[in-house]
Amino acid sequence: MKKEVFKLAFEAETKNIHDAMIAVMVPGIVKSVNEAVAAGMDPNDIINTMGDAMSEVGVMFERGKLFLPHVLSAAAGMTKAMEILTPLMQNESGSTEKKASVVMGTVEGDVHDIGKSICSTMLQCAGYDIHDLGRDVPKQKFIDEVKGGCTYCGMSALMTTTMTVMKEVIDMLEAEGVRGNVKVLVGGAPITQGYADKIGADIYGESASETTRKVKATS
Amino acid sequence: MAFYTRMGDGKRVEMTREAIIDDIRAGMADAADMGGIPDLTEDDIAIITDIVACNDRMVGVAPGEEIVLTYDIGQLDFTGDNGNSGNGVDMGRLEAALLHERALGADTFELAHSDYSIKPVKPVISMEMQTMEEIQAEIVAPYFYGAMPNCGLYYAPDGPYGNPADLMREFKIDEAMAAAEAAADHVARDIEYVTTRLIQAGADGFNFDTTGSAGDADCVGTLNGVRMLREACPDAYINVGMAGESVMGIHGMIEFDGQIVAGLYPHQQVKLAQKAGASVFGAVCNTNTSKSLAWNLGRSVTFIKECVNQAEIPVHVDMGMGVGGIPMLETPPIDAVSRCNKAMVEVAHVDGV
Repeated sequence: MKKEVFKLAFEAETKNIHDAMIAVMVPGIVKSVNEAVAAGMDPNDIINTMGDAMSEVGVMFERGKLFLPHVLSAAAGMTKAMEILTPLMQNESGSTEKKASVVMGTVEGDVHDIGKSICSTMLQCAGYDIHDLGRDVPKQKFIDEVKGGCTYCGMSALMTTTMTVMKEVIDMLEAEGVRGNVKVLVGGAPITQGYADKIGADIYGESASETTRKVKATS
Repeated sequence: MAFYTRMGDGKRVEMTREAIIDDIRAGMADAADMGGIPDLTEDDIAIITDIVACNDRMVGVAPGEEIVLTYDIGQLDFTGDNGNSGNGVDMGRLEAALLHERALGADTFELAHSDYSIKPVKPVISMEMQTMEEIQAEIVAPYFYGAMPNCGLYYAPDGPYGNPADLMREFKIDEAMAAAEAAADHVARDIEYVTTRLIQAGADGFNFDTTGSAGDADCVGTLNGVRMLREACPDAYINVGMAGESVMGIHGMIEFDGQIVAGLYPHQQVKLAQKAGASVFGAVCNTNTSKSLAWNLGRSVTFIKECVNQAEIPVHVDMGMGVGGIPMLETPPIDAVSRCNKAMVEVAHVDGV
């Protein structure tokens, strides 16, 4: 009952934040958040509203209605909003920690970058701490990042001749005794669910949106 | 009764006729929803169902219904490794061209640099022109030059402009857009440089392969390059083949001829290709490896049929591993390849593959 009363009380602010996020304009997002704070809306509820709208932005991206710069603008607006909200939450002993750390890279021998970069961006927008190593990444670098605390290891390959490196990295994770500390996600044009299963990866992403959805579901 | 068919990753599965129809309808609905285009007719669905639910190893079209067959990637069909859909058979470029013409029944063929991108052709343009001239003296079939615009080679670390993907992750969105625009201008200039010289050397045309592979700026740069080529060589045969069913919005706002290109689907892409001066449009629909062949074929045919309906130039659909409903497999299985091609001819009414 109390929650329903709250929702009614901040209905206009909630709608304004949502609409500003969907419009993907940084100044509009900051303005709507400032207004919500001034009206007394709980910072956690503001963040949840932004999070729900961000998910909607993700769906529109997946459906080809919005594009990467738009997703980034919404995320940039959210980041700016967090600068306003974080001090308020710290006063209330709230937590503003990042989600898990994810190492991302295109495997050794493969120079295709775009798909992996879109995945990194979508995961970053979802609140994960992204360590994007770029492309043609030496196998050992993935292992080093996992040893350094990354709990997700994302590998991309666009060629059938380089996708085999994914298995080698997984074997190295086993050999180094850190396979149990990390969830391995794989993707790229030649990668399929069947191949992911075959090499013992934990997550296969057909698209950036699907990868993000699956990572969120496991964290 | 169950019919032998495949998943988008090539895995063999059995499906009932009813399950095949359900998947064709679901794939069709996905395309119609995403592209804002009409559903297939009930007759179309019945034809595709009969094609998929057929126990023959291969299927084909009726005599007289054959269409133009064009190969891309030049000699690499033979000389490339199997990861590049090649056969690892070493031979010269002349021999490969003649084999395609005389043994494989190719209606057209092309010369290609082993990297298959525009940029690396620049430093060896004189050698490519010489080879073109030499092979033209032997071959009868129309012989083009083919390359990917590949705007990715113009971004760091391979090129002079900042990498939009990296810049965006730092929320430098304006800088990312500026880099994409500069790269688009650069690739257009390179296209003009390379293509006009190869046409002068005797090429019958130019095949732009995987247009838009690096996003919407790649697409705009290519279309501007095509426009330059058309102005310089009014009689050149120009094929604009796409990279995907939807233009990726890496820039998001970049335009060609007043039209934002991000998010355009085949029936919209073809109109820009026409405006730029293309003679033929290479429509693409990507395969979802987690869905069945029936789902992917229903989806692909829906997209391509509408593209053909709206096109004023011939449409040659891109059919190979991971496109056109064909499973994503190094060597695409002939049962799937022949079924998808037959459906594209009989339902989408494409002019070539």
